[in-house]
Amino acid sequence: MIMVKKIEDLNYYELLEVSPTATSQEVHKAYERIRRIYEPNSIALYSLFTPEETAAINQRIEEAYRTLTYESQRKRYDDMLRGIQQESEEGLPMPSTPRHRAVTTPSDFIDRLDGRTRKTEEAPTKPSGETAEPVLQASLQPPPPFNAEFTGPAMRLLREQRGLSVRSIAEMTKVGTRYLELIEEEIYDKLPVRPYLRGFLMAYARALGYEPDRVVGDYLKRYDAAMESMKKK
Amino acid sequence: MIELQDALRKKEIWAIGGGKGGIGKSLITGNIGITLARLKKKVLLVDADLGGANLHTTLGIGVPEMTLSDFLNRRVENIKDIVIQTSIPNLGLISGAQDFLDAANPNFAQKTRLLRHLETLDADYILLDLGAGTSFNILDFFLFSDHGILVVLPEPTAIENAYRFIKSAFYRRFKKVVANQNIKDLIDAAMDQKNVMGIRTPYDLIEQVKKMEQEVGEILELEVMKFKPKLIVNQVRTKNDIQIGFSMKSACQKYFGINLEYLGYVEYDDCVWQSIRGKRPLTVEYPYSRPSRCIERIVHNVLRKEQLALNSL
Repeated sequence: MIMVKKIEDLNYYELLEVSPTATSQEVHKAYERIRRIYEPNSIALYSLFTPEETAAINQRIEEAYRTLTYESQRKRYDDMLRGIQQESEEGLPMPSTPRHRAVTTPSDFIDRLDGRTRKTEEAPTKPSGETAEPVLQASLQPPPPFNAEFTGPAMRLLREQRGLSVRSIAEMTKVGTRYLELIEEEIYDKLPVRPYLRGFLMAYARALGYEPDRVVGDYLKRYDAAMESMKKK
Repeated sequence: MIELQDALRKKEIWAIGGGKGGIGKSLITGNIGITLARLKKKVLLVDADLGGANLHTTLGIGVPEMTLSDFLNRRVENIKDIVIQTSIPNLGLISGAQDFLDAANPNFAQKTRLLRHLETLDADYILLDLGAGTSFNILDFFLFSDHGILVVLPEPTAIENAYRFIKSAFYRRFKKVVANQNIKDLIDAAMDQKNVMGIRTPYDLIEQVKKMEQEVGEILELEVMKFKPKLIVNQVRTKNDIQIGFSMKSACQKYFGINLEYLGYVEYDDCVWQSIRGKRPLTVEYPYSRPSRCIERIVHNVLRKEQLALNSL
């Protein structure tokens, strides 16, 4: 009986503050409204959310909007939500095998969906002034195949091989450079809590052009193991 | 016999706070009171801002003889003896202390006595002007009221204070409903943003509490649902300022899981400071001004909800 929900667990309708039966026009209006509320320098959020949290929320808002404006995606999302509700009512266990793991949260679903349908439709962001690295180019080129484990140092290596600075990844992903560095150096205890870390990893994975699922899976496995042993100390 | 009837009359208690000083709580409290009185309701204004009492000034009443501190110190036994009948029909005032700040902290026994006596008074509405800060007294009065109203200005400092107030208020509420000392300690620790457990939001706290005692965690969840503070944005100049109320409502829902009700806003106008300077009540001196209209709208918003609730019975 969960009544209070974590922000990351809000489903897309709750996030956009719109009814599950809203028309696409209503969804659009809601999106405009909520985007204004959570824009990065909004003083109404002052002292409540950190800039990183605001960025994470904005990313989810974009995901939500993208999903709910395309009929087929929205239908699939609705089916999935209904599935989750049924599962939690029936008390079914949630299996968690790596590749084909069952969907456990809405963002899991969208990650899988994005992995399949996203391809190279990365929204164009303004190229940074310092590096002449056009953002689109990085994601359009297919990345070199990588069969090893996605550890922090591995991601750093892949990034450097593609000639990308931490700065450019930061601009692409809206994740702060500090967090990216901490991720690469695997300084787990300084990273934000798991759900936010997950979001950052997903964004980093996409920026590098690798399947988010895989990157996140590998990285979080090591993270969880490390956190577990830290607890034991 | 009359006293019994008074006690049985349904009274609504509104508490107006805001965390920050100088944002217009007293002005708004006083003028809401006047507005209600004009609607033929019996209203009692209480200046609970001990050490910073301004309510009488916003009503155009001179420094009063008998105040709340006389009651709290038992120089006066019956609270009726410190109620000032203002020149506005149906509107009474209990003025705050004229003592200095140090003397301004009633203890638990005094507070209880005050609340008990307030309940015996003849009024439809009791409006408490709480003053600035998040002291236990202020939080307790806020939690005790039927409608807890927060006032903010469209400025980061006021907004920051409002969130701090909200957090303090329901953490205080949490501690009240919890008997287990370990959990109480956990709640205290969670108040510190940089706590070692990484508790950032009330959700985090409730999760931790559930690990210790599932049922207590669920009780806290219920308290979150029950906590319904209200918001007024003062000194509004632009549409963006108005929007702040809606944004804070959304942010409160997503961050705290709390339903913050946006009652309305009060527009900035020169007539406000002019009325204060002139020591005349705003809604009496400038009844057709925009701020006065705003306050009327706010009062009607609260009353209508009240009616809506009655109609649904």
